[in-house]
Amino acid sequence: MMVPARSLRPNAPKPPSAPIGHLYIHVPFCARKCHYCAFYSETANASLIDQYVTALIRELELVAPDLRPRTVYFGGGTPSLLNLRQWERILDAMGRLDLLGADEWTVETNPATVSLDKAKLLESHGVNRISMGVQSLDQPLLERLGRIHTRDMVFRSFDTLRRAGFDNLNLDLMFAIPGQTMPVWRATLREAIALGSEHLSSYEVIYEEDTPLFQQLKASRLDVDDDLACDMFEELAAQAAAHGYRQYEVANFAKHLGPQPLGEVPDRACRHNVNYWRGGSFYGLGPSATSYVRGVRTKNWSSTHLYCQLLAKGQRAFESTETLSPMSRAGETAAFGLRMNAGWPFDEFLRVTGFDLRVEWRNDMAELERQGLAKLRPDRFQLTDRGLRFADLAAERFLRPFMGSRSRF
Amino acid sequence: MFTPDNIYYPRYYVTKKLSPKAPSLIYVSHPHFVADNFALFRPVLRGIVARRCLQRERRADAPTNRKTGKALSRAGEGRGGLALPRPGSARARDGGWGTRTMDLAHIRNFSIIAHIDHGKTTLSDQLLLRTGTVATRNMEAQHLDSMDLERERGITIKAHPVTMTYRAGNGEDYELNLIDTPGHVDFSYEVSRSLSACEGALLIVDAAQGVEAQTVANVHLAMKQNLTIIPVINKIDLPHANVPLTRQQLEDILAIPADSAIEASAKEGIGIESILEAIVARIPPPKPTGAISLQALCFDSYFDTYKGVVTHVRIFNGELRRGMQVKLLNSGKNYEVKEVGSFNPKPYERPQLEVGETGYVTANIKSPKDVRMGDTFTDARVPSPPLPGYQEIHPMVFSGIYPINTADYEHLKASMAKLQLNDSAFVYQPESSVALGFGFHCGFLGLLHLEIVQERLRREYNLDIIATYPSVIYRVRMSDSLVKEIDNPAFLPDPAFVAEIMEPTVQAFIICPNEYIGDMMALVSEKRGLLDHTETVDTKRVMLTCRLPLNEILIDFHDRIKSLTRGYGSMDYEHGGYQVSDMVKLDILVNGEPVDAFSCIVHRSKAESRGRALAAKLKEVIPRQQFAVAIQAAIGGKVVARETVSAFRKDVTAKCYGGDISRKRKLLEKQKEGKKRMKSIGSVNIPQQAFIEVLKA
Repeated sequence: MMVPARSLRPNAPKPPSAPIGHLYIHVPFCARKCHYCAFYSETANASLIDQYVTALIRELELVAPDLRPRTVYFGGGTPSLLNLRQWERILDAMGRLDLLGADEWTVETNPATVSLDKAKLLESHGVNRISMGVQSLDQPLLERLGRIHTRDMVFRSFDTLRRAGFDNLNLDLMFAIPGQTMPVWRATLREAIALGSEHLSSYEVIYEEDTPLFQQLKASRLDVDDDLACDMFEELAAQAAAHGYRQYEVANFAKHLGPQPLGEVPDRACRHNVNYWRGGSFYGLGPSATSYVRGVRTKNWSSTHLYCQLLAKGQRAFESTETLSPMSRAGETAAFGLRMNAGWPFDEFLRVTGFDLRVEWRNDMAELERQGLAKLRPDRFQLTDRGLRFADLAAERFLRPFMGSRSRF
Repeated sequence: MFTPDNIYYPRYYVTKKLSPKAPSLIYVSHPHFVADNFALFRPVLRGIVARRCLQRERRADAPTNRKTGKALSRAGEGRGGLALPRPGSARARDGGWGTRTMDLAHIRNFSIIAHIDHGKTTLSDQLLLRTGTVATRNMEAQHLDSMDLERERGITIKAHPVTMTYRAGNGEDYELNLIDTPGHVDFSYEVSRSLSACEGALLIVDAAQGVEAQTVANVHLAMKQNLTIIPVINKIDLPHANVPLTRQQLEDILAIPADSAIEASAKEGIGIESILEAIVARIPPPKPTGAISLQALCFDSYFDTYKGVVTHVRIFNGELRRGMQVKLLNSGKNYEVKEVGSFNPKPYERPQLEVGETGYVTANIKSPKDVRMGDTFTDARVPSPPLPGYQEIHPMVFSGIYPINTADYEHLKASMAKLQLNDSAFVYQPESSVALGFGFHCGFLGLLHLEIVQERLRREYNLDIIATYPSVIYRVRMSDSLVKEIDNPAFLPDPAFVAEIMEPTVQAFIICPNEYIGDMMALVSEKRGLLDHTETVDTKRVMLTCRLPLNEILIDFHDRIKSLTRGYGSMDYEHGGYQVSDMVKLDILVNGEPVDAFSCIVHRSKAESRGRALAAKLKEVIPRQQFAVAIQAAIGGKVVARETVSAFRKDVTAKCYGGDISRKRKLLEKQKEGKKRMKSIGSVNIPQQAFIEVLKA
């Protein structure tokens, strides 16, 4: 195995003056848990949310010196569940800590909890992208999934957001939902595209353990039809392309509005997510959130109570930490970056990981190309359209055995 | 066929006197020992065994000297007036070796035989408690079942001896040696091995379940060995216990006097005292064989990293001391005894083991193969003839075992050698398969035995293995009338040169409630069996005696009986000779390539349905690949079934963002590990599970 030059080692300290440019904030509250969701969230309770906001501000204060966010992402949970006053407290704190002014600032919303004044408040503080969890526009399916919103709310909320001034909107859609037929999926797709959002995230239902959906699948009350799921994906890709969306990741499509020419990704791509796939550092705050800072991955406790208690004492709320060896980390970075249509430019990969794809993964790349799943270009390695549908198969090849340390607090 | 008339009795030759202090001891040797060729002795043993089989009738109350069978007396006669101890003389009674700690009259060696779940282990535990061998606070349920597997499955696989001291009602102390026995049809060989070390046996019958097929089989074994049987009706505390009926069954089916049975509840501790008293009163004390020196029967063994092979022995004659030079009669090898001792139930060292006693011996024996169960230890300088316990074990079921990772071959080989030490019925030899690489062709007593060996390899030796479809030994008569024995489908000769194929059969006994007799008859006929006759067990149950091909009962016969009868039916069998059958070789092809591991020999009438079932099962378990996979079942080149696994169209996690990366990576790592463990046949990856599932199909 080739040993990279010392200066290229990923562990080589970056200039201490370069703060982290990406911030994720987890808002772990929902009006009700959806049947497919495995993210950490609990049912809202006003006083707990207040405690959470206090703790979150404390956590922001702890990391702020090392943070100059170019992208911010509020996910959940349901961030839009926070009321106006709670939002004001968070936004004020961010202003005080000099964390405002990100190029891209996304907040996830549920169509049932969007209001004009909340939208305006966010917009006025610099939020410039809203991701709306639509999932489906078929009323019976929404009920089956346990969503709290109706299809009408989607249309109304979309208008509200536009009226509040947002010109960068994403719609989340799910396919291969149990009971969803091809005509139903086509109708949802058609209506969603007709709304004219700048971005579409669309993914197949994942049966996560510990969800009611998974339990139903295990009890064999649900059928998994892989062929139908594939057909639905093909329909998605075709419709999205026909309406000006460009796929830039397995499940993500965005418009390119210009005037700059199309680069690695369309200009309405979610930069925050691109940072994840490209193995970049980010702070993740809030219960259950993961941070990945200069090669060290930490995870907060998945308990709002514990999170609040620890932060009240002025401590970070780490549940576990994981440090991979440079090689395992590079393998991981390679594997997940391949989910993007742009693949991995060799120089970029070398810069991020300190390893050369053409050296360490030469055979893997050749084999994937032989199978017609990838293209080896002079400047980069990327999966083909077919290859993207076998991205896990490709990812497995790029992983290297786990070496490093894990610990729990 | 051996009859008492053509038994060959060994003769002994005097070579020299040992010492003036022991003028009566003669150093003898036998030409066959010198020749180191034990094979010459086999006729003797077979003769003895054959003769014992003729003495089936149950022994009356007064036990005769079972170990000084007529064969040995005649050997004694052949000594030509030499100064050897005569059977029955004072010296013979104590083995001719002087004083002892516990006189023979106060030793009892016994086993417990029972149908599975009738409470054998619970009763053993109670005996240990009542005799103070194990204190209540140290009691762990199921003390004698030391293997995890045994506890989990509630069965006993290995025989464990344990020595207890009991003060009887008459105020005298007795040494009671309990030699535990396995409780499954597959292990009747182990049962008889344990029984051969005893003078008596407790027969446990569940008062609620009554006599079961297994009970019948085990009692037959005990009777063949002329053991005193003490019937114990257990679980009398259960609300649906029917003691009078159980007594009646004992008398009717087993010809055991109903009034001899002791009522007990091992769980509640009822009747334990009576059982202990009965052991003392009814089971005869051991008697020396009258041979001139040590005779110790090896009935079990295990491997200890520091001590080497630890052999469980029952001393039939003489004594076994540390430092003694001993000879194993089967292997002909000599050893110096390093340690002797007993179990309480943990092993503890003793200065010597004396005639009648049970315990263990270590002698720096390095190779498991050197100690065959049933072999006899004797004094190396003054060898005695072997005890009649030794029997060639004949495996009945064969299967190939292969490491998933070819690199594990040596580890597998070493593990099998160690397993064999504790399980002499397990045999193996290297073989190789196109699909599976290098592995071993293994022989087992039955399917449970096969499962247990596989599971022990997986768990205790941490090996990933694949086992092929089990087979039996077929006899193939070639056109030139040469007969070949085939236990591996790969070696079945071309049908063009085969005159006929014969398959082994069994005589099976099925006991079931009356209402299931129709289901049982249908099952027997489905399995190509013939019903011989039916007998009434009691007002509610019948016993069917039938003849079935062994290969038909290998896989699920016992399970089917259990499920058809809602658990009330039971089955046991004896081997029943060969019959001519229309057997064919069924091949499975994956994308046109035959997978030798999936080949099997089946009856023609079943070949097509079996082929379809195999192909359908394979379709279920072979994961989709990037290309379509054709699965075909063929008999002699003719395809009888076909299935297709369509190509998969995607393999991608739908959604993946920052917080999931670590978890997703672990999932991918796990998948990658899983794929590494698949076997590649051509370009098709077949997971280990597929082989296991197909085995069960």
